[in-house]
Amino acid sequence: MVLLRDGMCPGLDEGLVRGLRAADIKTVEDLVSSDMEELAQRCSVSYKALFAIRRVLLAQHAAFPVSGADLYEELLSSTAILSTGNPSLDKLLDSGLYTGEITELSGGPGSGKSQVCFGVAVHISHQLKQNVIYVDTTGGLTAGRLLQMLQAETSNAEEQMEALQRIRVFRLFDVFSLLDCLYGLCGGGLQRASVGGGSVKAVIVDSVSAVIAPLLGGKQNEGMSLMSQVAGVLKTMAKDFNVAALVTNHVTRSGGGGGEVQPGLGASWSHIPRTRVLLEKGGDVRRPGLRSATLIKSSRRPLLIKEEFDLKWWSRSKEEGGGAAAAASGKRKRDETDS
Amino acid sequence: SEMTSQRRRREEEEVRAEMSESGAQLFARLEARRCLKDIEPRLFPGDGGPQHGEVVELYGSEGTGKTELLYHLLCRCVLPNAAGGLEADVVFVDTDYSLDMLRLVSIMESRLNSWMRENNEEACRSCLSRLLVVHCSSSSQLLLTLHFLENSFSSRPGLALLLIDSISAFYWPDRCEGGANLAKQEEKLSKCSELLGRLLRDYRITVFATCHAIRRSYSGPSSSSFSDPDRPYLCRAWQRLVIHRLLCSRQEAGNNMAATAGRRQVLTVHCTSSSSSGTKAHRSSSFYVTDGGVEFT
Repeated sequence: MVLLRDGMCPGLDEGLVRGLRAADIKTVEDLVSSDMEELAQRCSVSYKALFAIRRVLLAQHAAFPVSGADLYEELLSSTAILSTGNPSLDKLLDSGLYTGEITELSGGPGSGKSQVCFGVAVHISHQLKQNVIYVDTTGGLTAGRLLQMLQAETSNAEEQMEALQRIRVFRLFDVFSLLDCLYGLCGGGLQRASVGGGSVKAVIVDSVSAVIAPLLGGKQNEGMSLMSQVAGVLKTMAKDFNVAALVTNHVTRSGGGGGEVQPGLGASWSHIPRTRVLLEKGGDVRRPGLRSATLIKSSRRPLLIKEEFDLKWWSRSKEEGGGAAAAASGKRKRDETDS
Repeated sequence: SEMTSQRRRREEEEVRAEMSESGAQLFARLEARRCLKDIEPRLFPGDGGPQHGEVVELYGSEGTGKTELLYHLLCRCVLPNAAGGLEADVVFVDTDYSLDMLRLVSIMESRLNSWMRENNEEACRSCLSRLLVVHCSSSSQLLLTLHFLENSFSSRPGLALLLIDSISAFYWPDRCEGGANLAKQEEKLSKCSELLGRLLRDYRITVFATCHAIRRSYSGPSSSSFSDPDRPYLCRAWQRLVIHRLLCSRQEAGNNMAATAGRRQVLTVHCTSSSSSGTKAHRSSSFYVTDGGVEFT
């Protein structure tokens, strides 16, 4: 809803705005939808002048159509694919995280969603030398953990510090702070966060369901509207600033408790991410780090393909790294049984 | 007297400019816009298909193939006649940033490939130039954009198809803004629907719009208080426009997820077409999604 103000466009002076308001025309939408001849008579202004004002306002506020050819050219030159650092996950995602899209990672408690996000952040900041925005809504991220993972990638302290500096962390715990943060990023924050030569290429929100799920259910619509807003600003940010958005979601059981595991936040969220991956524990007691990832939504790969990987070794090179890497990469529980 | 004759000449020119503008508009309206009845006969009952000025709604939850069907119809329109297309221009209104150009182009290329082996890039580019994409981020902007698009319709008689993905994108923000008043909640979409109705009558274009389901449909007993999950929930002004309703769903292949992995998921479409006499015709079809797009079974 855009209110009519004088000076918005040539010919729209204070007198005319007052006249229009008296005729119950308060917004640009009202003006554009009205009958020009009738309105010109009521406001005693020439039809030609009013028609010209309508044309200018429409050009200013309507969305501008773009030719498909131009749009495709632009996408080809600006879309980038960011490797997650884990070859199995990359295979599932058709090479990695695509910029301009939202990728969702869902899973139950302990399924490793945050660990995957840490691994992605570390890989992008250290290996790809690009900046990452990490929005933590669960309190699970610590600099110590990131440093631990970086130490498994390189023993050079300076490189570790550089990589850490490329990860910008926001800690917030409610949806309004999240919206503030995201709008702030769109409004210049992303440019300001581009430090050390790299630009921000990924925005990770872990987790988006933690701040939205408490608002859903019941009779209020505000929760659903806030969810739409978060979705809208994430998509806009991904598209306009060419970043890959990675969000995490919890899981629920379908059919009210007895059915299969599915991502949370309901049907209205389900079509927001372009790609969705479901993460589950491997089920092998001897390999507690084992996880299986299933692709449940994709426009590029067949559905329900699975990949397995071990959280202990984020990239295959660490598998060859042996003992030192095992100690450094660590997990929260010290019950590794190395073969 | 020289000034008055100059002024008269200028006035005449202006009037002539206005007349020829309205002449062109009239021509654009009367000129038969490409009828899209044959756009995809496998979806519609009888020898049916959308006539001029008809609206088709594709309704379904995530993963039921609605967007893939839109890509299929889009390609069908913009491809050259020799490649099985209709050579018609299309406007794609994207309300939730869901248009995947890379996917669309890969479908287009695979269809062009089966027709001609070389020079694919040129052909692809000329097909893409028949497509206009516009992105809206609110229902107010959608209303303004539809007004703006009126210029495109009147100046391009080749524009036969308007695709909207999706018409339900602003449902929750509008409901929240409208507060407790149902009429206020539905006001914006009603205005868009009324404008769309006028554009349909004046310019005789065809519209396909997707609508996301807002409740998950469980295959369990229907004793829940949610009633029919496929019941239309958008405002009545929109419902009145819809002539053909395509209900998209996934064919349940049993509860074992492992069994369906790797095998292609079959998607079904159930079409309900309302005629002016009040009778309804039905048709069911099924398809699966391949790398080259939708393939009917």
